Amino acid sequence: MTGNLFLGGGLAAALATMAICFAQKIPSARLVKIFAATSAGFVTAASLLLWILIFENDFSVEYVATYSSTTLPTLYKVSAFWAGQQGSFLLWLLVHAIIGAVLTWRRTSAAALGIYFLLQSILVLLVLAKSPFAKHSAQVFEGVGLNPLLQDFWMAIHPPIIFVGYSLLAVPFALSLGTLLTEANSRNWLEEARRWTLAAWSFLGAGIFIGGYWAYKVLGWGGYWGWDPVENSSLVPWLLAAVLLHLIKLAQKKSAVLSVAHVAATFTYSLVIYGTFLTRSGILGDFSVHSFAGSDIGVALAAANAFVLIGGLLIILVKAKNFPQGKMYDAHNSAAFMILLSCLLIIFIAAIVWIGMSMPLLSQLFGEAAAVDTDFYVKSTAPIALTLAALMIYTFAKFGRMISLGGKIAHVGFLMMLAAIVISAQGETVTQEFQPRTKVSIAGHEVIYEGQVFQEDEREKFYVYTVDGEAVKALTKLRGNGEDAAREPAILKNFSGDVYIAPHAPKIDDVQELLLTKKLFALDGELGYVFEEAHIDYDEHGQAIQATAAITITDGEVEEVIHPLITVTPDGGSSKSLEVFNGRRRVRLTGISGDLEKARLEILPTYEKLSSMPITATVTTKPFIWLLWLSVTAICVGTMTAIKR
Amino acid sequence: MRKIFLIVLLVGFVGYAGLNLAESVTPYVSIAEARATSNGVQVKGLLDKNFEPVQRGNEFDFSLLDEATGETMRVKFDGMKPDQFDEAYHIVAVGKYEAADETFHAKKLLIKCPSKYEGQKPQA
Repeated sequence: MTGNLFLGGGLAAALATMAICFAQKIPSARLVKIFAATSAGFVTAASLLLWILIFENDFSVEYVATYSSTTLPTLYKVSAFWAGQQGSFLLWLLVHAIIGAVLTWRRTSAAALGIYFLLQSILVLLVLAKSPFAKHSAQVFEGVGLNPLLQDFWMAIHPPIIFVGYSLLAVPFALSLGTLLTEANSRNWLEEARRWTLAAWSFLGAGIFIGGYWAYKVLGWGGYWGWDPVENSSLVPWLLAAVLLHLIKLAQKKSAVLSVAHVAATFTYSLVIYGTFLTRSGILGDFSVHSFAGSDIGVALAAANAFVLIGGLLIILVKAKNFPQGKMYDAHNSAAFMILLSCLLIIFIAAIVWIGMSMPLLSQLFGEAAAVDTDFYVKSTAPIALTLAALMIYTFAKFGRMISLGGKIAHVGFLMMLAAIVISAQGETVTQEFQPRTKVSIAGHEVIYEGQVFQEDEREKFYVYTVDGEAVKALTKLRGNGEDAAREPAILKNFSGDVYIAPHAPKIDDVQELLLTKKLFALDGELGYVFEEAHIDYDEHGQAIQATAAITITDGEVEEVIHPLITVTPDGGSSKSLEVFNGRRRVRLTGISGDLEKARLEILPTYEKLSSMPITATVTTKPFIWLLWLSVTAICVGTMTAIKR
Repeated sequence: MRKIFLIVLLVGFVGYAGLNLAESVTPYVSIAEARATSNGVQVKGLLDKNFEPVQRGNEFDFSLLDEATGETMRVKFDGMKPDQFDEAYHIVAVGKYEAADETFHAKKLLIKCPSKYEGQKPQA
């Protein structure tokens, strides 16, 4: 409730800022600053409140109960903020509002500020439409917790950086439209827009690259780039922002380019919202490996998207007659022409990715739903990217002296990145079964599978390998019931590239299940079991905490009484396995009947047996993959450097 | 001259992208429709629990169940069993049906786990 009030305050102040900017002839700078800061203050308060609710384990709030739990480590409680759709929208709004407050302290035109705070109001409405502060009817005392896959350091920084990029892209859009509304042929906005777009480009790029690196070191996301709609939807605005950057730069010298720079600004920001619509509305549910549950936010997002795109284009059309006329470039062998041609090629690549990711939607306009396979992206963009690279090298050789130091670093980084993508894909892939402690030679490397190692608390296990004499291990996070929750590869990093080992989940055939009835004897083939009794412990709220059974195991001579238990969790229960009878058996209690008369016991392979079973793994070499990480770093650093000047 | 250059580039691109697209588009169909065509399609279904999935060398064999009709179809996937296969809610198989061995030959499997990004609803 308080959270929604804060958001309401943020909305009111954003609307007030917008109204002052549009209504007054010469807006009071002091009032604008105060209202913008108020809006940012309210949004910050709402965000802090969400963090407090998460840290205080307030599970009456549905969002907290869905994405956090009492046992979640601190770092993941911080990132649980943006683990779901509602929270990530709030994060977007938070960054947008802070940048908005900063904008009012710079010499940004009133009209541009008006547009910016109009966007901010729309964002608040989107957050309110599906609020992270919503209560739920069910009373719970423990949250579900963050998906183990997302319990990762990169989860703490990848989404915020992406949203910083998205928010920054609103600035050139606002500057462009603001200028169009007042003095259409002005070029005063270009320098300011250039610097904000550079910042946006490097943040969005950094977000995309970090996401790629994260996906690389996790199994199941298809490597550093999988052409998934969620990835594509951030790639397209990033490509368009590159076009915008170059057109802004060109328009500073050639006034005829001004019109297309405006168009690029509108398209870039529209595509930010379009991507969000595509991936967050749930309409792609059937087509993406990133599955988002369907939601009613789709209509609101579609409306926001149409508003930005149609609004922007309409204003451009109305003002078109004021645009400076003339030639966009003087000669075909000029830097201007090369840049324009490169921009066109980048637009082609963006268009292909856009068509591919939108295919599920577009195809429904004409008939049955259809999707493209990922080969489409590689096949269609590769020749264009190659042409672009050749064009860049030529332009660089001929006109390189005109490019700033930061620009040079970024462009060389981009070319290096294209090269690294091709080179790192030239490795070998071998899938085979590995016998423990047996040397295998793969693609010039000596690989020994050493076995599985389980953590004490059974929440993690490692597949240990020795590659060329060095130990590497692949982490698998486990659920409470012992199943795999998230898996990572084992990676040996070398100058010549990575050796990437992806173990496949072992097939465990010899799990036996015993249904025990109180006081009756049961046999697992070798050992006998008697279920003696069971009891359930309750907490002060009368909620069940755990169920414990007492079971006697015997081989006819020795008897041992064990006390396996099931801990109650929001998703059912979790139960640790016990090694019993001097490690001869590993058992796990998986159920107790309501009348405490029956118990279900799983007889599992012992750790020793698990560790010595053969494991199938896919081993891939990734030649010089570090070149990829280096080159994308260069892109971001170079772009950041270019902001100064 | 300049306009012609631009138009040639644009037309060339549209043709190029269109050709590539036509080759790569795979419609989303039911099991019955997949059986009726020899073109590349995507089929969504549940895992048919009556058929134990099996990995034979580099080929993964399972049976797909159509939620609506209850129809089943054998699927051979050219690759290793995907990581999250056992947790799958829906399976999408991309490939084509071959009447010769009455099997759907999948080039790709999309595994959908409903709880992967959006949280599960907490239970009381």
